[in-house]
Amino acid sequence: MNLFPIALPALTEAAAEPPSGDVGNPATDFLQGLLPEAVPWWMLTLLGAGLAFAAVMLFVTVIAMFSVWLERKVAGHIQVRLGPMRVGGWHGWAQSIADGVKLLLKEDLAPEGSDKVLFKLAPMLVLATALATFVALPFAPGLVIADVDLGVFFILAVSSVTTIGVIMAGWGSNNKWSVYGAMREAAQVASYEIPLGLSLLPPILYFGSFSLVDASAQQAGIGAWAETSGQWFGMAWYILDPTRWLVSIPSFLIFFIALLAETKRAPFDLPESESELVAGFHTEYSGMRFSFFFLEEYAAMFVMGIVGVCFWFGGYSFPGITALEPGPLLTFLSILSFTVKGLLMVFVMMWVRWTLPRIRIDQVMSLGYKYLTPLALALVFVASLIEYFAFVIAG
Amino acid sequence: MTVATPPREARNQRSYWGNVFSALRSTAAGMRITFRYLWSKPVTIQYPDEKLPTDDRYRGIHYLEQDLCICCDACAKACPIDCIEMDATRHGKELEWHQFELDYQKCMFCELCVYPCPKDCIHMGKEYAFVTEDRGELLLDLLTWKGLTEQQKIRIAEAEARKAAKAAARKKKEAEAAEPPAAGEPPAGGEDKEDA
Ligand code: SF4
Ligand code: SF4
Repeated sequence: MNLFPIALPALTEAAAEPPSGDVGNPATDFLQGLLPEAVPWWMLTLLGAGLAFAAVMLFVTVIAMFSVWLERKVAGHIQVRLGPMRVGGWHGWAQSIADGVKLLLKEDLAPEGSDKVLFKLAPMLVLATALATFVALPFAPGLVIADVDLGVFFILAVSSVTTIGVIMAGWGSNNKWSVYGAMREAAQVASYEIPLGLSLLPPILYFGSFSLVDASAQQAGIGAWAETSGQWFGMAWYILDPTRWLVSIPSFLIFFIALLAETKRAPFDLPESESELVAGFHTEYSGMRFSFFFLEEYAAMFVMGIVGVCFWFGGYSFPGITALEPGPLLTFLSILSFTVKGLLMVFVMMWVRWTLPRIRIDQVMSLGYKYLTPLALALVFVASLIEYFAFVIAG
Repeated sequence: MTVATPPREARNQRSYWGNVFSALRSTAAGMRITFRYLWSKPVTIQYPDEKLPTDDRYRGIHYLEQDLCICCDACAKACPIDCIEMDATRHGKELEWHQFELDYQKCMFCELCVYPCPKDCIHMGKEYAFVTEDRGELLLDLLTWKGLTEQQKIRIAEAEARKAAKAAARKKKEAEAAEPPAAGEPPAGGEDKEDA
């Protein structure tokens, strides 16, 4: 029985030819132009994967560092303080770099009696899942590392593996606060997966696709959807379609609330609620391992924000940009618009965090099960009706 | 007659949609407030660069008006924890200062040393940032100059000259008044006591 239908061809002699289907991505395409013809396809794939990984890693690190700085700035200014002001000169822009260097130099501790394997594996798993979600994000027209047909499903599935990492961290720490934090995380994430997934269905029904690439292209009016590009100056965004406001706005609100719970952000930061659980699941972590959790949190915020952006706010599209000729300028501006939109979402999450107090675990549960889930279900129903009638009217 | 209040549960109970909308409304209200604060001017003072103005009656590091001080020790005696130590040599009316040390390891800035000063020349200053890496540096000498100033030296020399002239005149007088017996000892080296 062939348990590994994908991996097997690489092991056999018949692997001289690439497997049928599109294995290319921007990284391999880029490399193909540079390397000589004779390079075998599997080496190209490996090199492409390496390049993509390096690009994602760089992007995630920069985004996470910027978000950490932004968070401290936002927190400061909301509390009428200044936030970091010293390191690096201008408004403490190098604070995150300094913190990163500091964390690198810290001792890597594991508590006595901890499960060393779980303890050491957990941060890696958590960060790996956060990084893996980036491969399905469309940064610009045609610039996506892996064009997964079930893009959003892939992101939700992979990002929920984070929970396992958190539970490993909590259990492996041999610390009751960590276990409490991990258990809360499990309960919370498991219950908010439902409204999160349901709230994504109205836009999925609207676009007729699970793929973030399709959704972005459709809203930007690119490719097969070129005829819609005139609408709203190339902003055929789901949230701007007045015929869908009945579902698009409430579903975005539900998505946003569920997203906060998924990414463990206040007011749902029960897994690490510092006033009762020290620091929750990462109480015992120090140095780089701790910073992996930190990195994951901000990476996950960005990815989830981007999912929202791709489905409601037009992905990389921006008025005027998508009218440009395909080329480096379009790609650059699209990446810029994509990043800025993602960071705006992250900013709103921070703004919520510094506004609302943490809610109790029973309130978390009742909000998830009594309010968000039924409302999301009802929205899915209404959205289905609307899309059906829209389809019928359009003929 | 009192109005019957409904039981607690009933009072706290809102309808389902009431809950939803009140949550949305209160969140929106809170977000509006924090957004307003986000753009308001921070109240933070960037401390080493800018400082808050100190109050007039602020009790910081002392300062001494050395030319007024008469080394009377009143402040040192008033200090409840003996942190002032002073030493000066008297040359007639002039003081040759050796030290006026304040031990800021002990000082509690109670201002008790300020009140008894007869010359009103020791004050509580405004300087408060006083951090050192060495305890020894917490022994602060409040003197602005040590020893004698040039003017003091001139004044002492003048006083000496005057004294010498006076003594010479008196000697002459005595010699004239009582011719035969032994001449009285000249007032030897009377720098200090002569004045009193
Ligand atoms: S302030 Fe108080 S403790 Fe300090 S020197 Fe003066 S009397 Fe002593
Ligand atoms: S009480 Fe005043 S005059 Fe007397 S020694 Fe102290 S500072 Fe000088």
